[in-house]
Amino acid sequence: MSKKEKKLANQYEEPIQLDIPEDEIWTYRVEGLAAPHINKPYKHYGLKKFIFAIVIIVAVSLSMYFSVRTVQKDTFEYESVSSGIQLSKFSNTGFITVLDIDFVSSVEYDESNPDVNTNFTIIKDETKKVTSVGPYALNCDEKVKVINIGADVEYVDSKAFYSCWALQRIEVDENNPNYCDVDGVLFNKDKTTIICRPCDYDAYLAEKYGYAKYDENGALVEPAPEDENYAKYVNDVLTYVVPSSVKTVGELCFNYANLKNVYLPEGLKTIETLGFFEIPRLENVYSYKGAEVSDTHFTSEAALGEVYISLPEGLEYIGSDAFSYNQAMNYVYIPESVTFIGHHAFWDTVYKESGELKGVTVINVARLEDDFKDSVEVGTSWRPQYDHMLFKKSIDVAYSQQRIAK
Amino acid sequence: MSKLLDKAKDLATEIKTHWHTPAEGKYVPYKEYKDVVFAVGSNYAGSKVLEYIGFWSSCYLIMHHYKLPYLTFSVIGILNMPLGYISALIWWFVCDNLGFLPKKTERKLYFVYALMMIFGISTILFDYSMLFDQTSSFIRYLNGLEGMNATACFKTFGTHFLYTGWVGARNIFWRKKLLPKYGRYKYSLYCDVIPKCVMVILIGWLPVYNIPDVATRVWVANLLFATYNVFGFANNLEICTKSISPNLQERILVRSYPVKISHFFNTIVGIIMPAIIGMLRYEWADINVYRYVIPITFIILAIFTMKFAGKIQERIPQPPVEKKVQIKFWDGMFGVLHNKYLLINTIKDLIDALGNGMLPFTTILYFYTFRLSGLPYSLIVMLISFAGTPPDLLSPYFLKRFSYKQIMIFYQLTRAIGNALIAAAMWFCGDNLTLCGTICVVVMFFMEMTKTVPTTAGHDMDVRIRDYQMYLSGERLESFSGVFGWFTGPITSFVGLIIPLMLLKYGFNSNWDVLFIDASRRNIIVVPLIVDVIGFVLMTIPYFFWDYDSKKQNMVMEVLKRRAEVTEKKAAEEGETVSGGYIG
Repeated sequence: MSKKEKKLANQYEEPIQLDIPEDEIWTYRVEGLAAPHINKPYKHYGLKKFIFAIVIIVAVSLSMYFSVRTVQKDTFEYESVSSGIQLSKFSNTGFITVLDIDFVSSVEYDESNPDVNTNFTIIKDETKKVTSVGPYALNCDEKVKVINIGADVEYVDSKAFYSCWALQRIEVDENNPNYCDVDGVLFNKDKTTIICRPCDYDAYLAEKYGYAKYDENGALVEPAPEDENYAKYVNDVLTYVVPSSVKTVGELCFNYANLKNVYLPEGLKTIETLGFFEIPRLENVYSYKGAEVSDTHFTSEAALGEVYISLPEGLEYIGSDAFSYNQAMNYVYIPESVTFIGHHAFWDTVYKESGELKGVTVINVARLEDDFKDSVEVGTSWRPQYDHMLFKKSIDVAYSQQRIAK
Repeated sequence: MSKLLDKAKDLATEIKTHWHTPAEGKYVPYKEYKDVVFAVGSNYAGSKVLEYIGFWSSCYLIMHHYKLPYLTFSVIGILNMPLGYISALIWWFVCDNLGFLPKKTERKLYFVYALMMIFGISTILFDYSMLFDQTSSFIRYLNGLEGMNATACFKTFGTHFLYTGWVGARNIFWRKKLLPKYGRYKYSLYCDVIPKCVMVILIGWLPVYNIPDVATRVWVANLLFATYNVFGFANNLEICTKSISPNLQERILVRSYPVKISHFFNTIVGIIMPAIIGMLRYEWADINVYRYVIPITFIILAIFTMKFAGKIQERIPQPPVEKKVQIKFWDGMFGVLHNKYLLINTIKDLIDALGNGMLPFTTILYFYTFRLSGLPYSLIVMLISFAGTPPDLLSPYFLKRFSYKQIMIFYQLTRAIGNALIAAAMWFCGDNLTLCGTICVVVMFFMEMTKTVPTTAGHDMDVRIRDYQMYLSGERLESFSGVFGWFTGPITSFVGLIIPLMLLKYGFNSNWDVLFIDASRRNIIVVPLIVDVIGFVLMTIPYFFWDYDSKKQNMVMEVLKRRAEVTEKKAAEEGETVSGGYIG
C-alpha cells in the first residue's frame, strides 16, 4: 500500500469542516467531483431527451426481436451426423400426440380449420430419411402418446425420449434392421437389450386389458385393492416380464414406470445407469430361469419356470442409481455373479416411519464378506442410508445369503 | 493479559456509559446495537427462509412439484419486458419522490393503475386468445413456446398488468401513509408482513402443482406467485442499518459487529430447518416442507422482526420530507446518468449477466452429487458460510488497509479462480465423488472467506453512490438508477438466454432428475461455470476507474448535513410543521 493510499484510508477519521454559505447549499461543488445539478435545466434538454428515447426504443426493439427469435423453436430440428440425419429436438406445438420418426418433417397449418387439435398436417420430405435420434430429442414432453420409428433409423440414444410423461407406446417399423418393439416397448433387433419402456405404458396396458376408467382430470382410476379384479389388474398392468433373450436393461429404461412387479431373466448381465430409477410402487424384483419367454405380459409364475426373489444369477453390472428412490422395495438380493455396483445404486430405498425402518433395511449378498470386498467394485454410497442420531447411516449388508425361491 | 483485561473493562465502561446516549461525534447508542442484532437477525433469517419459495426454476417447490420447463421462465421474462419498461417509469417517479406527489398527478396515477388491474383481471377471467384467428402465425407462435400456449401467454401477460397496477397503487398509498413515521427503508414491513404470512401459507396449501396441463399450470402458478410477490419481506432492516449513521466509521462498525452477529440467527435457522426437513419421508421433495416447516419458521421470524423493527433508525442527513427537492421525471433520468460511479457499477453488472440463467451449482453439488440432506447438509452449509465470519469481523481493518478498488478487483479474481478450480474438479475428477467433493468444499470455503470483506465494501460503495447522488441531485434517486437497467436490460435479457438454451441442449428442462445422470450433470454445471469465469475476469476492468475515496465521501456528507440544517432552519423560521428530516 502506498503512502498516498494509507493517507487516504486514514481520512475516515479526519474531521472535515466545510464553510458553505446558506445560499450555496444546492450548488456547492466538492473538489474532484461533478457539480450538483438541482432544479436547473440541462443544456440541450430537448435533444438529450430525443436521443435518450431513440436509444431506448432501438435497444428494446432489438432485444425483443432477438429474444423472440431465440425462444422460437421449430417443431422439428435436425442435424447432419456421420450416419445421415439426426432428429436433435422435437418441440411439440401442443397438439401432436403421434410422432413419426422416419423422414425429415415439418408442420403445415390448414387456415380454414379453426380446431387447433386438427388444423395441422405433418409434411414429410421422403427424400430425406432420419437415421438417428439424438439425446434429449424429446424432453419432458407431455402430449406425445405414440412414437413410430421408421425403417431407416439406425441409432436411438438411450436418453432420446427423456421424461415423456404421456408416452404410451413406441412402435418400430418391422423392416428396421436395428430395432424392434415388443407390444410398444423398444428393444434392439435381436431383443438382447431392452431400451425404453415408455413412462405411461401402464395407461396403454389398462386400455388393452379393459381397465380404462378415468377421473374428471383424465387420470386413470385403478380398481381398489379390495376389488375382486385387483389381483388381475396388478398382473395385467402393473407387472412386467422382461423377455428371456434380454442381456441388458438400458439406461433410464424403466424410469418413472408405474410398476409393482418385474421379472428379470437369468441371462441378464447388465442393468445400466438409472435402469429402474424412481419407480415408487416397485415392490418386487424377481428373477426367473428355465423358460423361453417372449411375451412381456405376466400370466403365471409357472409359465416362467423357477422364480426367485432375487436379482438374476449371471447379472454382472448394476449401474449407478439403478434402483434409487424405490421406497416400496423391501428385499434386495445380490447374486454371486455381480462384480460392479455403481454409486447410489439403491439410494433412498430405505426410510423411517414412526421411528421404524422401512423399505430395504438390509442388502442380502451371496458372496462371503471378504470375497465381496475383494471381487466387487462398488461406487460411493451404493447402500441406502437412513437417519441415525441426527446423521446418516448406511444399512447393513448380510453376506453369504442363500437366494430364496418363490 | 492485564492489558487485555483493561481493554475489556474500558469497553464495558464505554458501553455502559453510552448505552442510551451515543458518544460525541457518534449517532448510535449501544442499546440500538443490541436491537440491531435482534431486528436484523430475524428479518435477515426470515428473508432467507423465503428464498425457498419463489417463481424461479431453482426453487425446489417449482422444480419438484410444479415441474415447469426451464425455458418457460425466459419466455415469461420476455412477455413481461415491454410492460416492465412502462411501469418502471411511474415506479421510479413515485419512489424517488417518496410517495409525495402533487394531488393531480397522484389521482392520474391511481387511475392508470386501476385500469391496469381491470385489464389484468379481465385477462384472467376471459381467454383473449380466442379473439384471434387460431390458425394465424401469431397464435401458432405462442402455442409453440416452451411450456406455454396462446391462452397461457395472454393470461401471463395480463397477470403482469394486474401485478403492476396492484403494486403501484399500494406503493403510493403506503409510502405516503407510513414513510414519514417509519422511514424509507422499513415502512413496507408494516404494511406487508401480515399478507405475506397468509401468502406463504397459501403457497404450500393450494394444490396448483396438481394441474395436469403444463400451460395451465404455468399461468396459474405465475398468478399465484405474482400475488405472493405483491407483498415484500426483504432484508429491509439490514438496508436500514446501512444508513444508521452519517459517521462512516460508525456505519462500518455497525455492519461489522451487530449486523454480522445478527446473521447467527440465520445460521441457527439454517441448521435446524434442513435437519427437520431431513426427517421427513421424502426430505426436500416432501410437500410438508412448504405446508408446515417453512410457514411456521417464517411466521416466528416475522413476529420477532416486527417486535424490534421500530427500535432501529435511519439517519440520512436530509431535509424534512415536505421540504425535499421535487424530482421531475427527466431530471431524475439525467441525474442518475450523470453519476459516474453508477455507470461503473452498471458496466460491471452488464458483464455479470454472462452468468444469468446459471443453475445454483452448490445446490446441485449438495443434492445431486453428494445427496446431502438433514444435519450433514446443514453442517456443510454452515461450515462454508462460517468461513466468512472471521474475516468479516476484521472488515474495518481491511477496509482501512486497502482501497475499495483493490478489494473489488481481488474479489472478482478470486471468484474467477475459485470457479475455474471447481469446474476443473468436476470435469477431471467427477467420477471420484470423494476427491471431487473435497476439492469443491475446500475451494468454496476459501471463496466464502474471501467474499465477506468485498461484500461489506460493496454495500458501503452502494451507500456512497447514493450519498453522492443525493449531493448531485438533491435526492438519492435509488429507483431512477434503474434507468441503467433500461439500457442494459435488453442486452442482459438476450445474453441471459445463452445459458438456458445451452442447458436445454444438455437435457435440462422441467425434470431436475436429469442431474442424476453423471455426464449430463457434468455439462450442466461445468459449461456455465466456464462462462462465469470469463465474466469475473472481465468484471475487474470497470473497477480500474473507481476513484471515489473517503475524503470525497466525507466532504459530500458535510454538504448534505449543511443542506438539511439550512432547510430545516428555514422551515422553522416560516413556522411550518415538518417531519422525517434528519440533520446529523
